Amino acid sequence: MIGVKNINILRRVFVGLIIVAISTVVIADGSKVPPPKGEQCVEDPVWMRTNHFETVLHQRDETVLRGIRTEKHSLKNCIDCHITPNKDGEYARYSNSEEHFCASCHSYAAVSIDCFQCHADRPESAVREAIKQHTANGINPHADMKSSANELILKSSLLSAQ
Amino acid sequence: MNNVVNKAYKLLRKSEQVTDEQKTDQSKRSFIGGLVGASGLAVAPGVMLYQIASAKPADQAVTNKVRWGMLVNVNQCTEDCDACVTACNDEHGLWPEEGSSTDSQWIRKLTVKDPSTQNTKSFPVMCQHCEHPPCVDVCPTGASFKREDGIVLVNMHTCIGCRYCMMACPYKARSFVHEVLEDQLPSTPRGKGCVDSCNMCVHKVDAGDNTTACAQACEKDGHQAIVFGDLNDPQSEISKRLKDFGGTQIRADLGLNTGVRYQGL
Repeated sequence: MIGVKNINILRRVFVGLIIVAISTVVIADGSKVPPPKGEQCVEDPVWMRTNHFETVLHQRDETVLRGIRTEKHSLKNCIDCHITPNKDGEYARYSNSEEHFCASCHSYAAVSIDCFQCHADRPESAVREAIKQHTANGINPHADMKSSANELILKSSLLSAQ
Repeated sequence: MNNVVNKAYKLLRKSEQVTDEQKTDQSKRSFIGGLVGASGLAVAPGVMLYQIASAKPADQAVTNKVRWGMLVNVNQCTEDCDACVTACNDEHGLWPEEGSSTDSQWIRKLTVKDPSTQNTKSFPVMCQHCEHPPCVDVCPTGASFKREDGIVLVNMHTCIGCRYCMMACPYKARSFVHEVLEDQLPSTPRGKGCVDSCNMCVHKVDAGDNTTACAQACEKDGHQAIVFGDLNDPQSEISKRLKDFGGTQIRADLGLNTGVRYQGL
């Protein structure tokens, strides 16, 4: 006879297997995410998949409050290694949920996180290059993303001031 | 045949000479190396210790053994120069939009005139990195804080954008980010809904650069009006200058003990 406990264990094993199968399919099949720069992640990739936010959260307080800037768990280090140019030499942005390493999984897991409203979503060289291009074209780098809603607010406030 | 033997012999001698030379070279090097090491230890141990302390390892927290500060020599600062402002914008990715009254200003040039003598002075004003910062006193979430080494920062992870700190700051040093930003630099993350201000180039300080973008730019332009350094170390350039020439704090009457001092104001 199979006891209730055994059924529960079997159920867990089964669910676990399905999760592993899904994640392998997602990673191996049809991914448009360019491969990372390094060969080995700073931690076990399986552990990282479920716990990376713990390390990043811990590191962020250590860095901001105490000035500890070790590379291992820094978001900058993650980005420098994981965000690489595609075949056309372009870096994917976080808004591109198919090609950006972080966005591809966040989108799949329906996670909405706002790291990249402030933090750079690509390595510094890529940001500097974008800034150079914007400046050359006479566009303010920050103004690039300003929504039409913002412009409307600005216009209406100017009108009311008049 | 004899010739060949002779040549071989000569070559052999040559190679021996070379190895001899290499040997002397190496021994010279090790001697010089020893000399440098010995002199490094012997000459001014205080300076050595200070240098070790300032280039802190990345895995160690900042301590209150150092207190970073800046000294602005107003007499060296010219009215038409804004190299420090441009350098700050470039270092931190602040791109002020023309005509905007709300863009972040981490450092700004001020020109003041004494009405009785018509004497004008021009100098940069940024976050003064107070020892007793009013912005920290009023912050409801603890986002505005002072690091152990005296640098006053905004923890943007906990900033709720209430702007009390902006009201409390007597130097108007803080700005609020009103709009969505794009192309922020990795070393200076900032975004809509948070307050930001001069962070004394904290990423450079932590990397052991011992300078700020504004001080570097000022030096490059030949004015050398801004000196960055450790106020706690009597051997540092900033402490020596303060000892020799003195330095004033803006609104010293408030008793905030600012980390940014002005010479000749």
